[in-house]
Amino acid sequence: MSTVVVGAIGGTWPYVIASWIFVFGSMGVFAAVTVVRGRRLSRRVPPERRRWS
Amino acid sequence: MTIETDAPDDVVDPGPLTTGSRTTAVLGGVALVAIAVLALFGLVLSPADANQGEAVRILYVHVPSATAAYIGCFLTTTGSVLYLWRRSRWWELVAFAGAEVATLFTVITLVTGMLWGRPTWGVFWVWDARLTSTAMLLLLLLGYLAVRRLSADYEVRAKRAAIVGLLLVPNVIIVRQSVQWWRTLHQKPTLFSNGLDSRIEGLMLFSLFTGFIAIALVFLWLLIHRFRVAWLAEQVAEEGLEAAIAERRAEGASA
Amino acid sequence: MWADAWLVAVKDLRIEFRSRVALNQVLPFALLVLVLFAFALDPDRGLLEKATPGLYWVAVLFSALLALGRSFSVESADGVRDALRLSGLPPVALWLGKVLSVAIQLLVLEVVLGAGIIVLYGTSVTGWPLLLMTIVVATVAIATAGTLYGVVAAGLRVRETLLPLLVLPVLAPVLIGSTRAFEAALGGTPSEGWPWVGLMSVFAAVYVVAGALGFGPLMEET
Repeated sequence: MSTVVVGAIGGTWPYVIASWIFVFGSMGVFAAVTVVRGRRLSRRVPPERRRWS
Repeated sequence: MTIETDAPDDVVDPGPLTTGSRTTAVLGGVALVAIAVLALFGLVLSPADANQGEAVRILYVHVPSATAAYIGCFLTTTGSVLYLWRRSRWWELVAFAGAEVATLFTVITLVTGMLWGRPTWGVFWVWDARLTSTAMLLLLLLGYLAVRRLSADYEVRAKRAAIVGLLLVPNVIIVRQSVQWWRTLHQKPTLFSNGLDSRIEGLMLFSLFTGFIAIALVFLWLLIHRFRVAWLAEQVAEEGLEAAIAERRAEGASA
Repeated sequence: MWADAWLVAVKDLRIEFRSRVALNQVLPFALLVLVLFAFALDPDRGLLEKATPGLYWVAVLFSALLALGRSFSVESADGVRDALRLSGLPPVALWLGKVLSVAIQLLVLEVVLGAGIIVLYGTSVTGWPLLLMTIVVATVAIATAGTLYGVVAAGLRVRETLLPLLVLPVLAPVLIGSTRAFEAALGGTPSEGWPWVGLMSVFAAVYVVAGALGFGPLMEET
């Protein structure tokens, strides 16, 4: 597999950085949304029913 | 003989106000450490590949994400089977949480796959077996989620979603097989080799390994939290229903 | 059980025969899709001829969505669902009957569309055994999978948008397989097409079983 195209696209590092930012950024957003939703829902539910038992 | 406790009887354990717990706190901490180690090895310490250049660093997150997505699907099908067979509500929630987390990792797999493809093949998208199968996986998951998120009561939603979820893994297998046959029948496979054929060893192998560990930890953390959120959402829905029924009864009694 | 299934199928087909919805609406829709493809892919450039197998099966799939939707919308009127449950028919028979009715309608559709591509796209037909077998197997596959997901989506307000989302990704292997089989048949190399028929047979078998098992639980609810 040739490396010819690499130079033409202006280097590979931008793609690497963009990938990693997307990966951990999306995980972080997903986590944050989940935790916030969890807090909001917990408040609406009586304490004894908040966890699977 | 009576045993006296210290706490007076009218103090009720307040119950957790978040979906977090000691388990998830520890898990989360370890996951963050693993991510840091992955970044160190994946981005800095490991060398660039002879063929792909720096793009190989994308694979350290891309490949584990794909695996995580498939594990999520497996959980969905298993949970759906157990719900239909044993009426296990716990497993139904696992199925749902598994699908949600699998969807996240499928999107991650697709995007990183495309970002890897651009410097390597020159294009963002090719209709090769792997990318196409991943796109189909996303569509199958979205179908399951659409059914699970219907506005209807739990039994209806859960049963219908479970049928869809039960078929998720079989569908994925059949789709992957047919896409693979389709794309390799008249094409030499080496034309679009995605570089994993090249020997991966040493620090690169270690980076990939660390990637698996880190992604697995994040997957587990997200799964537990989504499970608890799904449970809470059902509790809220039930509360709403019970409150409405109580109101009706009160109206009937006072009329 | 087969007698019961046939009873259900005949009921559905009789409804269709009297209302003629499939004849007057679904069939023209299928032919319309063929015509639209001719607009989209300039006939003078040879694309249409090359793409004929794929276009044929895409037209079948889209029309199947309409036929499936219709198959379940006739049940949602006038307390029919309750009547079916009270009738004491075993759910498997009910499911088989629905599958049969959809399959028969699809077969008619496919024959007409076949005539359509011969006339409109100038297809010359070779490899008859492969063609016919592909049609049979693909029809069973589409009818069984489509009916199962049709039940999942039945009775819901979002049925019309949910059913395509559920069914089309699932039927992608059928599209791939039937198109490749048609290409092999029409292109004179039938031996390449038979493995695809095998794949679709596996698919159909999976969904016959899944439908037979899953239809019952789904019918139980209110």
